[in-house]
Amino acid sequence: MHHARDTRRLDVAWSRVGRSSFSRQKRTILMRRALDATYAAALWLSILCLIAIAVLVGLQVGGRVIDLTLKSLGLPQTGFVILSLSEIAGYFLAAGSFLALAGTLKGGAHIRVTMLINNVPPRARTLMEACALLFGAVASSYGTWHLLQFALTSWRFNEVSSGLVPVPLIYPQSAMVLGAGLLAIAFIDEFITTVRTGRPTFTGTEDAISLGQES
Amino acid sequence: MDLLPISLGLILLLFAMIGLGVWIAVALATMGFVAIVVQLTLPPGAILATSIWQGAKSWDLTALPMFILMGDILFRTRLSQDMFEGLTPWLARLPGRLLHVNIVGCTVFAAVSGSSAATCATIGRISLTELKKRGYSDALSVGTLAGSGTIGLMIPPSIILIVYATATEISVARLFIAGVIPGLMLTGLFMAFVIIWAMLNKSKMPPPEPPMPFIKRVYALRRLLPVLVLIIGVIGSIYTGIAAPTEAAVVGVFLALAVAWQSGTLSLPMLKEALVAATKTSCMITFILAGAAFLTTAMGFTGIPRVLAEWIGSFGLSQMMLLVALTVFFIIMGCFLDGISMVVLTTSIILPLVEGAGFDLIWFGIYIVLVVEMAQITPPVGFNLYVLQSLTGRNIFTLGLYTAPFFLIMCLAAALLAIFPDIALWLPRTMLE
Repeated sequence: MHHARDTRRLDVAWSRVGRSSFSRQKRTILMRRALDATYAAALWLSILCLIAIAVLVGLQVGGRVIDLTLKSLGLPQTGFVILSLSEIAGYFLAAGSFLALAGTLKGGAHIRVTMLINNVPPRARTLMEACALLFGAVASSYGTWHLLQFALTSWRFNEVSSGLVPVPLIYPQSAMVLGAGLLAIAFIDEFITTVRTGRPTFTGTEDAISLGQES
Repeated sequence: MDLLPISLGLILLLFAMIGLGVWIAVALATMGFVAIVVQLTLPPGAILATSIWQGAKSWDLTALPMFILMGDILFRTRLSQDMFEGLTPWLARLPGRLLHVNIVGCTVFAAVSGSSAATCATIGRISLTELKKRGYSDALSVGTLAGSGTIGLMIPPSIILIVYATATEISVARLFIAGVIPGLMLTGLFMAFVIIWAMLNKSKMPPPEPPMPFIKRVYALRRLLPVLVLIIGVIGSIYTGIAAPTEAAVVGVFLALAVAWQSGTLSLPMLKEALVAATKTSCMITFILAGAAFLTTAMGFTGIPRVLAEWIGSFGLSQMMLLVALTVFFIIMGCFLDGISMVVLTTSIILPLVEGAGFDLIWFGIYIVLVVEMAQITPPVGFNLYVLQSLTGRNIFTLGLYTAPFFLIMCLAAALLAIFPDIALWLPRTMLE
């Protein structure tokens, strides 16, 4: 859907304007498409993390149920155990939670109090939105930087988890850095949009969510 | 510098940021950052990274996305219709008739759902239209739905209780068990109110349902089978100790998929929708928890919570007076903040105060959930009201008026819980010791 619309916009741009401003517009649209695709890809990686938790824990519970059944029948048990499951599930959760940050922001699902913002004149609203977004961008960049330092330390010292299966901590931690970095980019992206158009792109969805249209 | 003015200044800063539309998680983390920079010579960045990492990889917290996913799948099945048709024939004889379907339906669904808004939306989707069609007063059908939807927070599984448990490092299973009786007490109080109201206002009730023979009523019970299987699978596995809450949540996800498959609502687009929605919701919550984890650590280093506790302790309030003061403060805060933010603020800033006053932390968890439930139905910010606004198209303050009696009933429930703490503490004590 996005593709069709963007192509149409490209055509319109081509027919109306000269070559130089066309290429700028084209760059903007390509940039937009690349960013949105990145947020979406990270969101799907996050979904995969959740699915991984469900599947691993599901296998473990299934194994236990089978063993209980075998035991009650007096048969030998399989003894099926996923080692360090609770640790590994925790790592998937950490990675998944962070990878979804940007997509969730773009979806307008991160919670904040919009009561004041919704009730000031449009110009003041734009200013407040821009300030909040810029603040978010600075804060998340700061967080990303320090998470990166933290992850680099784990990597340098080859830190692994303390359980039976030694998982290198750099795996979940690098996913967290990536997710936090994408959040910072999404904040900047929304800040620029707000400065240009007066409103962040998620305004509509955010209102819909606060109206409860998404469960 | 004296710590008390700094503490009060920090709290003011937090509320200023939240009021100006800064994302809650960012505001919480910023407060932690400022507290460290103003007060200590420690590196805030390193503390930030460590505490976020420690908080985000929690096994207990893994239950959260799983329960949310389960709710998101069930919302997209025919479960609410089934429950309406299974419950109606049995409740139609009570004074207040189908209004009880809202209350009992929400209570039953609360046992498979961890959120108040999801409970409200799932039950309300069918029951509001059906009640309107039969001529029930809007005020009561909306009020009962909003009020009893909040039971979703109290009766396990409960997202808020998972959040409270991870923040205070109390066992999730224990808190879950503690929530059962207070939840059922709310159901009882709501039903009693509807019965009394219906007996006093016979003229305002629509005509009764046509009577249904006993055999048919029993046959209608089969519609409740899916939800029953879910309850037994999820809650049963926690109570019998077979599964940890996270494992029970995953069992719930697979059972919800089975229910969806059996009712023919399972499809790839539906699954995709549920996955995306659940991922965003749980990301939103874990983001807040990450901010709160940093704030809690920062607060611990600065000693601000202890100073606040001593300051409030210096007023010499009795335990009851302190509780009343806290409740009033929470109710006011609840008019503007959502439940999860309220709980993490409590656990990161005023927990030493609560412990110092001698409250049992499990009891306090249940108490705060009850107060958060009230916050769900107070305008202008209340998630159940948002849900109902989209279902009915009414103004949020009108809805607040409809829910007012139920708000008062919850105040009564809070008083009961404060006077008889065993309402929450008896079951975990007898079951686990």
